[in-house]
Amino acid sequence: MDGFMIVNILGGLLILTSLLVILIKNPKNAAYMYGGQALVLVAILATLGFVTGSSELYTWSVTAFFTKVIIVPAIILFALNKMQAKPDDLAPRFALVTTVLLVVGEVILCYLAVSGIELPTVAELKPALAISLAHFFIGLTCIISQRNIVKQIFGYCLMENGSHVSLALLAPEAPKLVEIGIATDALFSVVIMAFLVLRIQRSLKTLDANELTKLKG
Amino acid sequence: MDNSMLTIALIVIPFIAAALMAVLPSKSAPRLAYQALHMVSLVAVCVLSVYLSITVIARDKTIIALGDWIHLDALGAVFVVLIGVVGLLVGWYSLAYIKHDEDEGLLNPAQVKQYYLFFNLFIFAMLIVALSNNVIMMWVGIEITTLVTVFLVGIYNNRFSLEAAWKYIIVCTAGVAFGLYGTLLIYANGADIMADPTMAIFWTSLVPYASQFDAMLIQIAFVFIVIGFGTKAGLFPMHTWLPDAHSEAPSPISALLSGVLLKCAILVIIRFYILAVEALGPAFPQMIMLVIGIISVVVAALSVLMQDDVKRLLAYSSCENIGIIALCLGFGGPLGIAAALLHCVFHGLAKALLFCLSGNVLMKYGTRDLSKIKGILQVAPATAVLLVLGFFALAGFPPFALFVSKVLAFVAGVVAGHIVIVVIFGIAATVVIAACIRVVSRSVFNKAPETVKKGDVGIAALIPQFLMVALILWFGIAMPGALFKGVEEATAIVLQEEGPVLHNDPLLKDLLATDEDTT
Repeated sequence: MDGFMIVNILGGLLILTSLLVILIKNPKNAAYMYGGQALVLVAILATLGFVTGSSELYTWSVTAFFTKVIIVPAIILFALNKMQAKPDDLAPRFALVTTVLLVVGEVILCYLAVSGIELPTVAELKPALAISLAHFFIGLTCIISQRNIVKQIFGYCLMENGSHVSLALLAPEAPKLVEIGIATDALFSVVIMAFLVLRIQRSLKTLDANELTKLKG
Repeated sequence: MDNSMLTIALIVIPFIAAALMAVLPSKSAPRLAYQALHMVSLVAVCVLSVYLSITVIARDKTIIALGDWIHLDALGAVFVVLIGVVGLLVGWYSLAYIKHDEDEGLLNPAQVKQYYLFFNLFIFAMLIVALSNNVIMMWVGIEITTLVTVFLVGIYNNRFSLEAAWKYIIVCTAGVAFGLYGTLLIYANGADIMADPTMAIFWTSLVPYASQFDAMLIQIAFVFIVIGFGTKAGLFPMHTWLPDAHSEAPSPISALLSGVLLKCAILVIIRFYILAVEALGPAFPQMIMLVIGIISVVVAALSVLMQDDVKRLLAYSSCENIGIIALCLGFGGPLGIAAALLHCVFHGLAKALLFCLSGNVLMKYGTRDLSKIKGILQVAPATAVLLVLGFFALAGFPPFALFVSKVLAFVAGVVAGHIVIVVIFGIAATVVIAACIRVVSRSVFNKAPETVKKGDVGIAALIPQFLMVALILWFGIAMPGALFKGVEEATAIVLQEEGPVLHNDPLLKDLLATDEDTT
């Protein structure tokens, strides 16, 4: 089995873990699952580094391990612990079947879109690229389908992870600075979102996006 | 100091001001200390931005700094001046507005400090967007604008402002993630074909290679970029955060969000529009801009008419005007591009003015509800006069500057042969005129409620507003040569053509020639 095959298989695992992040109702468990999902991402980066011989990708996998596997879930867990009342598990807006069907549909669509790209670098990695693009949309699905605003933060993280994997696939030689810039920015976003969620929970006593609808939009 | 150093100083100054504010203690430091830092920073930014932009335009030469990371070309200059000038005027207005909020007990000293600090960070972030040559940095800049303004939108810490802040951060970060994805696709494509892949990060190095990009990849990337940065610009249907955030934020922040930030997002779209046109030819990018532009214009115009909240009305009007700018980019050609750029500047000024005026109204009436705001002319005559002028300018009446850009937009549409779209645009513009007249007739005139105390807001709040009106009139009656030249050079950059593109345009040639004969 060659490296590209492993990357493509790990890509499949990435979709599965992200789907679980969406489907798990309890935000704490979802945070642990997100850590697991990010671990798969780290494995993809490391394997890609091995396959392409790009030392940059090894560095990425290390930074991604710290930022995505450890720090992001830690921030969310910290925020959840800080909340005064134990938040209820809010049911998602979409039924389980709907969510799964949506995700499958996204994967198929992305596969079709990617098949038109004729870049030599991605010839062997088209399934992985399709998956990383789909991953981006799975994140969006998470934001739209969830009522719990903590879960919506994970949606954003999943979108960001999708971009990250695509970048690794398309430009394995990208300078460290690009990767660090993106990772730092995403981290800041998560910190600020968690801070805001905490403030909302304290002032308004809710984490339910459906209750945040006093404004007309 | 040379111009490269000055450009770096321009970006760094508001950041330093914010850092200094951060270390000042919020309770014991007098309010004056924050105000002084705030104004020194904004005056410096304004002076530098105008000086550097005029230098770039006069010499028709780009300033490069920090390796290739920072660049100021004529296209960026148009937006840098907007940030500098509107930033200063709105920042000046803030002093009176925030003092009022503090006196009313709406903000405590810690929140006042937070306000001035994030205001300066906001300016800093927008300058990064306008001056960055690094495409990832451009995205980072847009992200920072979201992250710092979230605190400003949610500053009142009540149910509505927190809700608006959440909607703002989640819609914009998720939206702008599309922008990142699109940017990364273009970067990856560039890195793949360029001899030195590290150069693929710079916009100026990508442009010459754009014609070799993979067509499918660039189509996906451009759609992602329009969705992503279009979210931040307030294009339909990604605009949902905008009316909430703009109406719940303090009025000067609404002014800056609508007047300047939306235009910065448009600048990013324009930068990628240039790449897309080079890679794919004009048909695809223009079609995308046309479709999204006309839908935004129509939906927003109808929403403007239905609003009873003055700030929501202004927010939807911003969506409509951003739609017009997108439409102009869709029309393309020298006229369309010039119209888009002029409209960015003119709408930026007009909307900043009107949001500040909504702040005056809020200070006097304590409400944004138009059914309760009546008789402004009796209560605050100067505000009333400014409001009438502001709404007339927004409606696009002559002699205000927006008349020029709107007429140019119509002409560009006709020249490009999009007659149906031009007709729809015309109807939507009429709807907006009706909405503007409705506000003026309902709220400026009529009998004022007895509960509202007579007497205008202080002169300190009115002076920056008078200056904005003066600029809108000046640009409408006699557009300064430097502004026209700047827009012409910027148009040439967008079209990737050499020479005076507007002077060479068959429609404008004679007009500009007679103009030069008389002067």
